[in-house]
Amino acid sequence: MCGIVGYAGRRDALPILLDGLKRLEYRGYDSAGVAIIGSGLQVVKDKGFIANLEAQLPPMKGSTGLAHTRWATHGAPSKINAHPHVDCTGKIALAHNGIIENYASLREKLEARGHTFTSQTDTESLVHLIESYYEGDLEVAIRKALHDIRGSYAILAVHADEPGKVIGARNESPLVIGIGPDENFLASDVPALLRYTDRVVYVMDKEMVVITPKGVTLKDLEGNAMSREPQRITWSLEDAEKGGFEHFMLKEIHEAPQAIHQTLLGRLANLDLDGFSSEGITSVKLVACGTSYHAALVGKYVFEEIARIPASAELASEYRYSRAPSERPLVILISQSGETADTLGAAREARRRGCKALGITNVLGSSLTREVDKTLYTRAGIEIGVAATKTFIAQLVALYLVALKMGQDRGTLGYDELDRLKDQLRSLPRAAQYVLNKAQEIEALAAKYGTARDMFYIGRHANYPVAMEGALKIKEISYIHAEAYAAGELKHGPLALLTSSTPVVAVAVQDPTYEKMRSNIGEVSARGSPVLAIGTEGDKELPKFVDDVIEIPSIPWIFSPVPVSVALQLFAYAAARLRDCPIDKPRNLAKSVTVE
Amino acid sequence: MGPFTASVPKVMIPVGNRPLLEYVVQALVDNGVRDLVFIVGYRRERIQSHFQDGKAFGAHITYVTQTKQLGTAHAIWEARAHLEDPFVVLNGSNMVDGRFVEDLLGAAARPAVLITESERPQSYGVVTAQGKDLVAITEKPTEVISNLINTGAYALDSRIFDEIERLAKEGKHDLPSAVSAFAKRTSVAAVRTEGTWVDALFPWDLLRLNAAALKGLHEIRSGTIETAVTIRGRVSIGDGCVIRSGAYLQGPLSIGSGSEIGPNAVLLPSTSLGRNVRIGALTTVSNSILMDDGILGPSSVVQDSVIGSGVVARAGLLAASGPGDVNIEGTWHAVPQIGALIGEDVEIANGVVVAPGTVVNERARVESGAKLRGTIPSGAVVL
Repeated sequence: MCGIVGYAGRRDALPILLDGLKRLEYRGYDSAGVAIIGSGLQVVKDKGFIANLEAQLPPMKGSTGLAHTRWATHGAPSKINAHPHVDCTGKIALAHNGIIENYASLREKLEARGHTFTSQTDTESLVHLIESYYEGDLEVAIRKALHDIRGSYAILAVHADEPGKVIGARNESPLVIGIGPDENFLASDVPALLRYTDRVVYVMDKEMVVITPKGVTLKDLEGNAMSREPQRITWSLEDAEKGGFEHFMLKEIHEAPQAIHQTLLGRLANLDLDGFSSEGITSVKLVACGTSYHAALVGKYVFEEIARIPASAELASEYRYSRAPSERPLVILISQSGETADTLGAAREARRRGCKALGITNVLGSSLTREVDKTLYTRAGIEIGVAATKTFIAQLVALYLVALKMGQDRGTLGYDELDRLKDQLRSLPRAAQYVLNKAQEIEALAAKYGTARDMFYIGRHANYPVAMEGALKIKEISYIHAEAYAAGELKHGPLALLTSSTPVVAVAVQDPTYEKMRSNIGEVSARGSPVLAIGTEGDKELPKFVDDVIEIPSIPWIFSPVPVSVALQLFAYAAARLRDCPIDKPRNLAKSVTVE
Repeated sequence: MGPFTASVPKVMIPVGNRPLLEYVVQALVDNGVRDLVFIVGYRRERIQSHFQDGKAFGAHITYVTQTKQLGTAHAIWEARAHLEDPFVVLNGSNMVDGRFVEDLLGAAARPAVLITESERPQSYGVVTAQGKDLVAITEKPTEVISNLINTGAYALDSRIFDEIERLAKEGKHDLPSAVSAFAKRTSVAAVRTEGTWVDALFPWDLLRLNAAALKGLHEIRSGTIETAVTIRGRVSIGDGCVIRSGAYLQGPLSIGSGSEIGPNAVLLPSTSLGRNVRIGALTTVSNSILMDDGILGPSSVVQDSVIGSGVVARAGLLAASGPGDVNIEGTWHAVPQIGALIGEDVEIANGVVVAPGTVVNERARVESGAKLRGTIPSGAVVL
């Protein structure tokens, strides 16, 4: 998916195009470019975020232009493959969203006629094709060219000799016209225009449009003029993207089942993990920061339990500066953005030490993917809320897959057991949904417990890091001071802090530590602290020991971190909402930490 | 639809592997109606997570939450701030086609209600008309008036809100009453549609809708298809699927993404499997719907059945078709060809036999070797 924006008006085009691109960033952000017609055609493009492009822009004067943001799904994003593309004469610039199916044969013909190609994109064939038809009228040339191509497209084009004009066309990829006074716009989607106008016309398949500062002409591909009344857009930018949810965080928590589906997709049946092989691996070290570090800690228990392989987890910021031991573990680096500075540093250090490195990230082509031997994408979709939710769930699922693969390759899992584990993994979206169905119940509990100034989270084994993640969530978005402890550690100090006004959230699901957990809960209740437990459905004993219970479905304990995390995310969200906190943008925090 | 709506609203029940509501949205978008207001309530997150802001469906969707489920008139009253004249109102759980929406838009020059013939008029609002004008809508009449019923699709303008407000004071919150009252003051057209309008009243209606939807199946072949798989007819296989060797797939069939079809499994028309479904070796499924995340163990037979999301059945489930009497909310219905109706997240152990027409409600657990008939309550454990 890509995003395109075009402008013809009286103002400077550049800031309008860049702002529009940022609104379309949800459509992709691995490379971006802009073309402006001022005194001649000027094109600047590069791989990376739009902000990266912005930082290196020379002054570009002109009030006609177009811009493009790309999300490569196949092949590496690069400066050369970034749009806009330019013809041999350097006069025509083209931005394209879609796929031209017959680009290879077109390219062959055009190269035979002497056109010089610089990129590997399908789009470049179209710009040279337009050039070959150009006889002084860009509109006519594009119309002819479109008759020669097969595929889906939304395109925008400009010509240096025809300033004040942007031409668009669409077939199966979105394009919308924005109508303003003395200026007109074209874009993949309405949010790119909303700051400037609320009057839009949707372009339909096999239609072309010419915008100038003065007007808009809509035609079919035969050149027959058409008319369509503008519609008025009655919604605002923010609402648009949240799709009916009050906050991005809530929207993203509810996307957990979908994130699990996407992470499992095409991988589960044959444990085909994008070419990852566990051959020769005798131990695993998981390295990450923040929420991803909590996933790494869960991973340690998962690898030990499922693959029977020694595993340890370390903070990226610590691992980098530690001494290299003589063993060579597989180093798994986890970062949602793939841009976390310490994790990137740790990846370099791991490879310097001669270790194989596997990256787990959510962002295609991110820096981490270049620092590791293999990458496993979590495919959870773009996450906008600063507090990681669905991407944490997807990281856990990715780790389960890697553990299963290792168990299979090392022969520590029998065929039957492997099949059973696969089925259980397949049921995880339902386990997450079970908890999501309890959102209202959890909200009521957040109202009861969320007024506290301090809270404690306790868990054991694989659910100890889940308790840590729960505490982190409540700290970052609701500003409640929270500490997480391995339940067995309480009596070594923290018990001194417990009073009747410090609620304790205890993860007490049916796992091998359940009995121990119950006695730890006893220690807590004895100090008068109210206890909210996360327990397993059908557990009739637990409610007798605690004040309230949020139930997760009865699933094998090794997978319980998934539904427990969803419950703790919903709890933190509801607490923050009741405290009126800026949930999607908590103070002092950024989505990805690119400084050390 | 009870067994299938524990975690989703009715509009999200899949037929032909797409939620019912998607057909309505598509019919609207195909007719250029893109600014949509969804009035949501029960499990609205499921609708919102699927449709998001509508972009992926070519629409822009605004969500309005109906805080109390008082009735359909109350629903559009709550959305009034988002409605510009004229607007159309449709029920999200009826399957409609583009022609239906075209008829509705064609009628929108003045207030209108779309009507159609029905074999079960007693279950709906029956319409009396004078010429082309609506006289009244009578809800679920006990005596025969006519076989023309209200489809619940209207073209309206903001004058209707006066009627709604007035009737609300009398404790009436349904839209047919408001439209009937409106028809007394101004002329409301009763327009007979040539398009498709189907209401799924009972779970077995879903099978009919599914078969109809699969006729228009867009064929996609994705995923991994091993050797010696036979594929006949129109078969759609989603992303990341694995079809094991020896499987026999006779279309029309739709297999959702990430599903795994075991060796020598037989899938027969007209079957829809959702996302992330696993079918075991040597299992046969025909004319059935299996929703997302379901697992059907090896050597099972499933015919004319509807199986909800997250159902896990181990080896040897026998849910063969036959004539069955099905009890829906206390009323018995004789269905000529029916298998099992198994609700969301039901767990079934090995070797379970399900008599035709059995309803197993959500989250029931069935132990090995059980024989099921009648209605199994939700959450029950069958030994």
